[in-house]
Amino acid sequence: MSLNDPQWGRRGGGGGGGNQGPPDLDELWRNFNQRLATIFGRRGGGGAGGEPPSVRQLGGGLGLLILIILGVWLFSGFYTVDESQRGVVLTFGKYSQTTGSGWHWRLPYPIQSQEIVKLTEVRTIEVGYRNNVKSKVLREALMLTDDENIVDIQFAVQYSLKDPQDYLFSVRRPDETVLQVAETAFREIVGKSSMDFVLYEGREEIAARAEKLMQDILDRYQTGVLVSKVTMQNAQPPEQVQAAFDDAVKAKQDQERAKNEGQAYYNDVVPKARGTASRLTEEGNGYRQRVVANAEGEGARFRQVLVEYNKAPGVTRERMYLETVQQIMTSTSKVMIDAKAGGNVLFLPLDKIMQMSAAGLAEAMPSVKPSTETPMVPEPAARSRETLRSRDREGRP
Amino acid sequence: MRAGLGVFIGGLLAGTVLASLTLFTVDQRESAIILQFGEIKEVITEPGLHAKVPFIQNVRYFDKRILTIDEPDTERFVTSEKKNLLVDSFVKWRIVDVRQYYVSLGGDEARARSRLTQVINSVLREEIGKRNVQDVVSGEREKIMQVVREKVAEDAKPFGVQIVDARLKRVELPQEVSESVYRRMEAERRAVASQLRSQGASEADKIRAEADKDREIIVAEAYRDAQRTKGEGDARATAIYAKAYSENAEFYSFYRSLEAYRASFRNRSDVLILDPNSEFFKYLKNPGAGRPASSGR
Repeated sequence: MSLNDPQWGRRGGGGGGGNQGPPDLDELWRNFNQRLATIFGRRGGGGAGGEPPSVRQLGGGLGLLILIILGVWLFSGFYTVDESQRGVVLTFGKYSQTTGSGWHWRLPYPIQSQEIVKLTEVRTIEVGYRNNVKSKVLREALMLTDDENIVDIQFAVQYSLKDPQDYLFSVRRPDETVLQVAETAFREIVGKSSMDFVLYEGREEIAARAEKLMQDILDRYQTGVLVSKVTMQNAQPPEQVQAAFDDAVKAKQDQERAKNEGQAYYNDVVPKARGTASRLTEEGNGYRQRVVANAEGEGARFRQVLVEYNKAPGVTRERMYLETVQQIMTSTSKVMIDAKAGGNVLFLPLDKIMQMSAAGLAEAMPSVKPSTETPMVPEPAARSRETLRSRDREGRP
Repeated sequence: MRAGLGVFIGGLLAGTVLASLTLFTVDQRESAIILQFGEIKEVITEPGLHAKVPFIQNVRYFDKRILTIDEPDTERFVTSEKKNLLVDSFVKWRIVDVRQYYVSLGGDEARARSRLTQVINSVLREEIGKRNVQDVVSGEREKIMQVVREKVAEDAKPFGVQIVDARLKRVELPQEVSESVYRRMEAERRAVASQLRSQGASEADKIRAEADKDREIIVAEAYRDAQRTKGEGDARATAIYAKAYSENAEFYSFYRSLEAYRASFRNRSDVLILDPNSEFFKYLKNPGAGRPASSGR
């Protein structure tokens, strides 16, 4: 079809979007049919009319063929745009409009063409690794930090488009540009931070700062790209020094463990000492009660006896003396020797006597009044020191 | 009839051929120049449909978008302290003056790239040579990029090229230097590790010592208090005894002595060797001894 046709000129100049739909198409058809009709009509009218039906037939067949070709040509102007996409229509290479999702029709080649851009679809680039964080690309991953250490970083950038026109027309290979910008931005941020910051406390912040810097640079290039998220997948010291870093982490654990062990010892020893202390205190209290009670008892007993003694001192004294001696005599072994009876040497088998008496000891054991022993101090003290020492021995690992 | 149709089709074909020779489109992404025997006739920056004279004029297209120079290899530079640095950069540039661009570089993008690369490298060499490693890596990174951008822009102007941006990408140490960096990092970590460990040990010891100290204090204080209590008890007991016994000291002495004798001799194993002449046995030898009446011989 000739481009010089005024019809085309009108359309090309028209440039409007939505109103170039089906109604226009109908008009086109109508015009075309009219034109054909006038051509054939004139020919038919002016001709001799020798074989009009066959010519008409021929003309009809040719017309049909042209019609079909035309139809196919026009039909090639249809295209679909998905919900996540935008269509950008170019008229003779010049941007004319952006279309949303759905069915669209544009003027067919070579007048208009369309480019479909995935607008909202999230695209991802991976820096320092491919597909899996484990398959590293060291060339991209190793970065120098401010303190001249080297860190091994894997990160991913997710982005979508905010302006399909910019994305298509302002930068050659925009996706490659995103990768370049990601690298330069991230390395700049890491280069300004210390290693400890990158590896431990500052991970989030570095990603956030890189995201912002990336967006700034990409906006300056008018890439039409919207960086939605920069995530640091992994940040660690390089493999060559990994062992030393792990050891440092372990050392931290060791430190904690040692502290806890110390604390455990403390928690073991001090409560036990408190136990010992309260036992000592109670022993002291008990001792005081006992000694005082004994004293009171004995004092009272003595007073009672004294009252009666005062009534008849001589007799009482004699009785008490005799009773005591009797008690002693009955419970002990005795040997009576009249020293004056003979000057000859007396043989006493003392050991035999003691053996004999030991046999009868059990029943001869007299029950005496409670002992008046007054152990002064050292006994409990000695014991407690003894227990402490043994506990001490247990306590030490 | 047949002839008319032929004319129609022929005209159509001829028109198409003529149009294809005359008309051309310039894409949104491109600009173009029309050359007539090598002479620039027209510069087209506006996209759309344009016409030229067939056969004697031809058209050349140039990319209007931002282009990138990103050498795949890192270049080696020497810093002010004579250390080697591997630096990788990229430059974003754009053809702004197609006429200049065509005249100076023949419109050849590869040539433009190699020219720009040369300029970039020499500027980088100069700027990095003025600075030490740390400045290049962090401190003055932006400054370097800015200087490169300005100088290269200056240099690229005669080519009709605009420098949009120049940025450092990778800045790294050569392999052999990296090794020594790794060794240093390792040594640093080891120092940290041993410091942590000995800190842990010292803290643990401190806690243990504190435990021992607390134990000693607690026990000693309890012992002191217990002794005090016992002393109190002893004192009160003594007072009670004294009060009771001082009522008749002589009798107390007797009473208490008897008790002591009893307590001393209570087992069979205690053997008493007695003299029958003692007071106790006075009646054993002489039944009348005690009587005052018969006491005189």
